[in-house]
Amino acid sequence: MKLYYKILISTFLAVNTSCTDVVEVDVPEGPIRLTIEASLDWEKGTAGNEQTILLSTSTPFFDSQAKPSVTGASVQVTNNSSGAVFNFEDQGNGQYTTSSFVPVFGNSYSLEVVYQNERYTATETLLPVTDISSITQSREDGDDDEALEVNVSFQDPADIENYYFLRFQSRNDLLPELFYIKDEFIDGNEATFLYEKTEDEEDNIEEFQPGDVVDIILLSASEDYYNYLQLLIEQFEGAGDPFSATPVALVGNCINIDNPDNVPYGYFRVTEKVESTYTFE
Amino acid sequence: MKQKKERHKLITLCIGLFLMLGVSLAHAQNNYTISGNVTDKINGETLFGTSIFLEGTTIGAITNEYGFYSISAPEGSYTLVFSHLGYKEITMTVTLDKNQKIDIEIEEFSTQLDEVEVTAEEPERAILRKPEMSVSKLNVKTVKQMPVVLGEVDVIKSLQVLPGVTSNGEGSSGFHVRGGAVDQNLVLLDEAIIYNTSHMLGFFSVFNADAVKDLKLYKGGIPAKFGGRVSSVLDVRQKDGNSKNFALTGGVGVISSRLAAEGPMFNNRGSFLVAGRGSYAHLFLKLAGEKNSVSFYDLNLKTNYNLNDNNKLFLSGYFGRDVFDFDGSFSSSYGNASGNLRWNHIFNDRLFSNLSLIYSKYDYELGIEDFEFDWISSIKNYNAKYDLKYYFSDAFKLDFGVSTIKYEFDPGQIKPTGPDSAINELQLDKKRALESAAYVNAEHRLTDNLTAQYGIRFSHFNRMGGQPLSIYQNDQPLVYNPTLQFYQRADPISETIFKKSESIETFSNFEPRLALAYQLNDYSSVKMGYSRAAQYIHLLSNTSSVTPLDVWTPSGKYIKPQLSDQYALGYFRNFKDKMYSLEAEVYYKTVDNRIDYIDGSDLIGNNTIEQEILNGESRAYGLELLMRKNEGRLTGWIAYTLSKSEQRTPGDIAGGPGINNGDWYNTPFDRTHDISVTAAYKFNDKWSFGANTIFQTGRPVTYPNGQYQYEGISIASYSDRNADRLPAYYRLDVSATYKPNKRPDKKWKGEWVFGIYNVFNRKNAASISFGQNFETGANEATRTAIFGIVPSVTYNFKF
Repeated sequence: MKLYYKILISTFLAVNTSCTDVVEVDVPEGPIRLTIEASLDWEKGTAGNEQTILLSTSTPFFDSQAKPSVTGASVQVTNNSSGAVFNFEDQGNGQYTTSSFVPVFGNSYSLEVVYQNERYTATETLLPVTDISSITQSREDGDDDEALEVNVSFQDPADIENYYFLRFQSRNDLLPELFYIKDEFIDGNEATFLYEKTEDEEDNIEEFQPGDVVDIILLSASEDYYNYLQLLIEQFEGAGDPFSATPVALVGNCINIDNPDNVPYGYFRVTEKVESTYTFE
Repeated sequence: MKQKKERHKLITLCIGLFLMLGVSLAHAQNNYTISGNVTDKINGETLFGTSIFLEGTTIGAITNEYGFYSISAPEGSYTLVFSHLGYKEITMTVTLDKNQKIDIEIEEFSTQLDEVEVTAEEPERAILRKPEMSVSKLNVKTVKQMPVVLGEVDVIKSLQVLPGVTSNGEGSSGFHVRGGAVDQNLVLLDEAIIYNTSHMLGFFSVFNADAVKDLKLYKGGIPAKFGGRVSSVLDVRQKDGNSKNFALTGGVGVISSRLAAEGPMFNNRGSFLVAGRGSYAHLFLKLAGEKNSVSFYDLNLKTNYNLNDNNKLFLSGYFGRDVFDFDGSFSSSYGNASGNLRWNHIFNDRLFSNLSLIYSKYDYELGIEDFEFDWISSIKNYNAKYDLKYYFSDAFKLDFGVSTIKYEFDPGQIKPTGPDSAINELQLDKKRALESAAYVNAEHRLTDNLTAQYGIRFSHFNRMGGQPLSIYQNDQPLVYNPTLQFYQRADPISETIFKKSESIETFSNFEPRLALAYQLNDYSSVKMGYSRAAQYIHLLSNTSSVTPLDVWTPSGKYIKPQLSDQYALGYFRNFKDKMYSLEAEVYYKTVDNRIDYIDGSDLIGNNTIEQEILNGESRAYGLELLMRKNEGRLTGWIAYTLSKSEQRTPGDIAGGPGINNGDWYNTPFDRTHDISVTAAYKFNDKWSFGANTIFQTGRPVTYPNGQYQYEGISIASYSDRNADRLPAYYRLDVSATYKPNKRPDKKWKGEWVFGIYNVFNRKNAASISFGQNFETGANEATRTAIFGIVPSVTYNFKF
């Protein structure tokens, strides 16, 4: 709904004489913080033993350097139900990996990161995800009747609250298309989401062409993670435009035990994942 | 029982006191009364604000909104003067030995003479003796002289060149008064509540200047007869229609055209006005191959009928609609509709009354083809009002009355439009409420120099049943999540179903209003005012600009009524025989129970709004200066406002630190400096020119203070809410009006209006958004500017 409303507004602005341009703006500089990207995604039908956690730090907003990776931290995940501990090894490039992770549905897991003598923790429960029921292409749906789009459908289980994270990544592009989904209006139905690119010369966006490849990921999300994604995606898509909510300081589920004010960014998620690839014909 | 009796006694005592006061004032001497109506000689419109006085005395009165006046004086012989600026003054000798009725027609200074002098209307000058302050009045003639975007005369935009009034920029609906929010303004069109004042998302206002007689904006010192909003009242009155002869007025512009017809009817016992306006820019867009279209139209209607000298009926209506269509994939339409039936009854030469029955409605529809559903939402109200004015004596006038409003809220329903729709049908809980009020207000001249206006309004709000209501643990719809450091929705523990006959919650408030004017000398006065106001319905809007899809919601168990207290002090002065006037005011205003929205709040399609909001408070203070030149070839004004508007939202019952750590933060409508200059220059009878320029501090926004990588994208981090600002807003507009035809015998009168909006083509930022470049991935700031330089031409005619 919100998405449609935004399109309505932006199209309206486009119809009018409005114009956009890139400008230089002085922005404030906040503190540098640790970013924890701990995404333990268990792909359906695999053992899920290979897992990677990424650590980096934040940078000033207009800094275009590569992200500063964090080394020398100790990272471990504990299965709170079984007591099993999984150590993630420092690869020296910001990646911390393990090949012994054991995913179990409904079990709760805890993350512990120790970096510069400060201990960060988070807890999350592993939830299953429904399968993708179909992936098709079409032209007549979406904003542009002539542009190609890819449609992904899945069957929402009835009578339970489900949250999803859907991610499209075209291999020709740098930026993904992200969806946060709640089954509030679609409970028990088959739901379809589409990704279409409309041509924009200013931003060098081109429509999909036959042969283009899109990677598709569907994840289950906890309610907390859904709330987090909602803020994250909305801010990523349109922070500062007059018809979106005031952007806010976004904090994930990781807390700093030793110095609560030095909150880390990022999120610890443990989810089931369905992955697929679609090539336009 | 005993308590009840005591209260009853108290009420009797109060009424008794009022009566005694009135009687003693009224019968102090052997007084007689002159009363009647004042109308325009040419078109028969009743005149509001004409001053009537007895020469050589301090006895006088001003006509009310229906042109009625009443003055009382001791027996004797007097010279009676009718004075209305821009009109010829009329004097007559009267012998006051009995009560009498004098209806009078006054004539506008004719443009047929070589009259180059332009004068401001009386209400636009500084009025010294009346305690009325913090009021901005504009005559439609003044509004029409101002340069406008795309040639469309805009009542709401013209208000923004007055001190204390701002907007959130082009393309945003509504207006802000003294640091208040859009929903804190009560907007009335012929007494009917207008819920959305904008067409095309704020590019145009819903008021058709051809149908409007005058408008009055109360920024503070709101008289007790108005209530229900905490910031301001915008009282717009439609023309009654020409009662002398049939007339057509109209205009042809780039975006839209308008036509109004008016004339006498019912054997000259009444008159009518029908005015319509429509845009046709969408037709050009279609021709140009653009698949999306936007358009609007509206219709104003007014008619009145004189039953006899003491009874007059008025019927007025408004219907407006905006229609959006986006290539068939989705469409939207929204608008206001209102109707008002009024009965003016004059009981006797001192007691005037008006009964109004009013209906008004705002609704919108959003149809989304791709997902095959329609989204519909509306607010409706039925309003009955009875207002009376008693002219006790020259020194004491009393307004009193009652009002009741029944509201029906339909926050939204979703209807699947096709068999394959993945959307389930949904109806959000409809809400009902009743807002009632009674008031009494006195205008009392205490001494020759000191006049007071004091009154009280008692308001009562009943949030009626007929809906289920979620109940939460410890009455906490929201709980603070210390881990994620945000507020999250609590699960309801049960649901209570309220029957239609039950009340969910009731509120009542006494709202005292007080104003004093002390006239220092013939040309200057000091005024002060205090007012308290309660607001029971709220517009839910978590975006920095109000949008037509925002939903109104009543106070109830979880949302408390907003309560404001405002203090104002002013100095008013006329210079050089009223050629110049100065108005200076300072104000301080607080609002309790101002809600703000939690991070990530979702207001659309939400049945439990209480889970998205926190209760807080706001405050605003400022200095306003207005310097006018009222006469001569060059007229106009300079307005300057220095102000602050901020709010605070602690965690309250939900726990936690609240929004922005519970600290004060700028409201989105805080503007430190706001300067505008408006000028009109009459060169000769054919040419006149207008210009206005506006400078404003940028709108408060929240900028990013860092970035980090997550999911392969750059995520911005943000610090304190509204701590940064957009670049300052600046604009200059000019216009020229050419009246080619000067032959007095010709009925057809036409004029060309040429305008240039934003002469310097300055790209004022409506917003700045932050994000990654699609190609390079580097962060960048993107400015959206809505109007660059916009030339326009309009042809207006009168027939």
